[in-house]
Amino acid sequence: MAKNFDVVVIGAGPGGYVAAIRSAQLGLKTAVIEREFWGGVCLNVGCIPSKALIKASSYFKKAQDFFPEMGIEVKDPKINHKKLQDYKRGVCDRMSGGVAQLLKGNKVEQIMGEANFVSKNEIEVSSKSGKEKITAKNFIVATGSRPIEIPGFAFDEKGIMSSTGALAIDKAVKSVAVIGGGYIGLEIGTFLAKIGTEVTVIEAADALLKDVVDKDCVQVVSRKLKKLGVKVVTKAFAKSQKKTSNGYELTYEVDGKPSTIEVEKILVTVGRKPNSDQLNLKGIGIELDKQGCIKVNPQMKTNIEGIYAIGDIAGQPMLAHKASHEGILAAEVIAGQNRVYDAKTVPAVIFVDPEVASVGLTEEECKAQGIEVKVGKFPFGANGKAVSIGETDGFVKIVADKKDHIVKGVHICGPEASNLISEAALAIEMGARLEDIALTIHPHPTLGETMMEAAEATLGHAIHIIQK
Amino acid sequence: MADVEIKLPELGEGVTEGELVSWLVSVGDKVEVDQPLAEMMTDKATVEVPSSKAGVVKELKAEEGDVVPVEQVLLILEESAGSSVPKKEEPKVEAKQEAPKAAAQAAPAQVSASAEVNPPVAESHVLATPSTRRLAREMNVDINQVNGSGLAGRVTRDDVMGQGGGAQATPSKIEAVAPKANIPKPAFKSQQGELENRVALRGIRRKIAENMQLYKQIIPHFSLMDEVNITRLYKMRGDLKAEAEKRGVKITYLPFVMKSIIATCRDGFEMMNASIDDAAGEIVYKNYFNIGFAADTPNGLVVPVIKNADQKSIWEISAEITELATKARAGKLALEDMQGATITITNIGSVGGTYATPIINHPEVAIIGMYKMTDKPILKEGKWRAIKSMNFSCTADHRLIDGAVAARFLTSMLHRLENPARLMLDMY
Repeated sequence: MAKNFDVVVIGAGPGGYVAAIRSAQLGLKTAVIEREFWGGVCLNVGCIPSKALIKASSYFKKAQDFFPEMGIEVKDPKINHKKLQDYKRGVCDRMSGGVAQLLKGNKVEQIMGEANFVSKNEIEVSSKSGKEKITAKNFIVATGSRPIEIPGFAFDEKGIMSSTGALAIDKAVKSVAVIGGGYIGLEIGTFLAKIGTEVTVIEAADALLKDVVDKDCVQVVSRKLKKLGVKVVTKAFAKSQKKTSNGYELTYEVDGKPSTIEVEKILVTVGRKPNSDQLNLKGIGIELDKQGCIKVNPQMKTNIEGIYAIGDIAGQPMLAHKASHEGILAAEVIAGQNRVYDAKTVPAVIFVDPEVASVGLTEEECKAQGIEVKVGKFPFGANGKAVSIGETDGFVKIVADKKDHIVKGVHICGPEASNLISEAALAIEMGARLEDIALTIHPHPTLGETMMEAAEATLGHAIHIIQK
Repeated sequence: MADVEIKLPELGEGVTEGELVSWLVSVGDKVEVDQPLAEMMTDKATVEVPSSKAGVVKELKAEEGDVVPVEQVLLILEESAGSSVPKKEEPKVEAKQEAPKAAAQAAPAQVSASAEVNPPVAESHVLATPSTRRLAREMNVDINQVNGSGLAGRVTRDDVMGQGGGAQATPSKIEAVAPKANIPKPAFKSQQGELENRVALRGIRRKIAENMQLYKQIIPHFSLMDEVNITRLYKMRGDLKAEAEKRGVKITYLPFVMKSIIATCRDGFEMMNASIDDAAGEIVYKNYFNIGFAADTPNGLVVPVIKNADQKSIWEISAEITELATKARAGKLALEDMQGATITITNIGSVGGTYATPIINHPEVAIIGMYKMTDKPILKEGKWRAIKSMNFSCTADHRLIDGAVAARFLTSMLHRLENPARLMLDMY
């Protein structure tokens, strides 16, 4: 007889496992099905391992460039790639194991296998031990996305890599071409450049991170990439590659004119696409949008009653924290609570150097919506903590409604931008005004003071910069 | 082709809701701009609600008999291609609009579930914290309809709590004057089912019931009565008969009573023509006189109003009374005809009874009752004389009007009725 549950979550990434835990917390009999690893891409081949490697590379770079200035003498620092990979794996295992423990502790049944819908209320799970049928009153589809492949650059994860292969590099690589200058390409590109790889970024648009990030932030990042020796070719389209004895000869076109470069490896990071071609979703008639994401309403309901979709597969932005939020929402809706997706904003963070983080609207977006804005900026160069740790690039920029001073967007480029942005996200969700941030005492000496000063700057009277 | 919500428009000054009497369209009907959509009963008048858009009726959002607050969605139109304005929408909203449509074929039950949901982020344009937004959702309050009391219109937790129970109308001026009382709604358990006949409490009857209960609850009433020798006025009216017939105007006692009230109020009794603004804690004295007169109609009690009665001649008032009374009996009174009274007269006595204790029409503070004229003997200077006598009552809001004040007012007013010459001196 088929197993039966109140809720079956398919996919144990940051959307799925969170949805499963919340379902169980609400007293629903819950199972979660995962085909690869607990915690999904995020914890195993995405967010978490990349952060371990990026931090390692920045320490390495500091040891070379900045330690001497601080009076720390380190002789000829080197990267032990095998050990770095061990470290990374240790981090991932610990996190992934933690997820499994949490699921267990919440009495969520964990099923390792590949799921496929047999009907609207039944799935078949194939695993090493065979096939089993599972029925449920509700399904939450949280199967995420995967890197997009481009023609002529099939992933082998050795020479031609997606992010997954790049995060598993366990020896020095002389040179890498990064196709796609989005946030994943730039994060990994920066990591590689810092550990000594020659990096060339091939970007189709006329600027990096175009329309994703505040323009001033991109400028700071571009400058730093240049300093790290990263070559950026814009308006460039990768056309083909040819295997050579040491790697690849990559041909790309700028304005129709072909050029070639010789590189050891190629990293393709042109985006991610939803895994909606799997699970037999089409067979049961789930509606998809043009991008192939599952269409959902603000309660994460699909067109089929009892089937919900969350996270990357349910549309942009493809971010782990959005997936988790939607996972909780879907579980609560299933439990009969009156919930709807009503977050005002989803913060975004990019772990390049310096870090970039943003929340809410950019100046341009405000203007497009007819909102008259007041904009203020405060540089990290004027912040004591930033100077003392030698991280003075970047700024905090606040965009507020000119009329009532309500904060519309915050864009940070600088040290720990990723940690600083949460205050801004809270400000926007609470409908805070510039004065609310300026009047909140921020502890000294911290990077967080820049937020208070940026609010003051937007009001026209920051203390630590000269404003006429 | 976009769906547009047609909301119940403003139906008149101070009107916050209306009862849906009947739909004039049904789902699938093609509707032109200004075409009447429904009949609404509002504060004793029935009005037709015109459509502000053209399109095809997709969904009716209220049922006959429902009380619909102003600005609440009445129905959904699928807008005609020509009149639709393309709106820039976030993808989230698009998904929401499309998903339920698809679901309508697969699972009808799901549609109703998502229809209960209050607008999601893209439509929640008010300033409120995440927890307040959630509270509103849980209390089934549309946060967009809540008047924020905080800085820059911020909707606070208290604002949402104050809206509990789904009441979403924005408070109007009238509501500011009339504090909503908590009226219990006890059930009446049938004793002898077959000997009883249950009829829905609807329309004018429901409105009257609600109003009377509310006014009686707000106002501490007191009444006093007196009678007046109205012989002179009776004779005067007789003398005027020929002239009145020539003019085609029926002269009753009512305009004289109105003029007496106005003259007396101006002569030191302005509190009788005032209101209490409970919300503001203020007394509102009015330098204008709109006098309501209760009329008995086949549908029940209505109170048409003679506006600016102090600026009209008795001829004009008489003609207007006839006109309004005719309209009232035919059920054709416009809302405006019944609004804005500053003091009311009831002449229930023309039907029967010697005295009554009427209920004050809040936010007024007094109601004057006039009763049947009778022949009476009086003893004057040792001789019996026959006179025409009429009873009057004055019912007042004791919060504002002391007993002695009401007594002096009634005496002074009746003195003018007894001596029309005196009343003439007061004329402007």
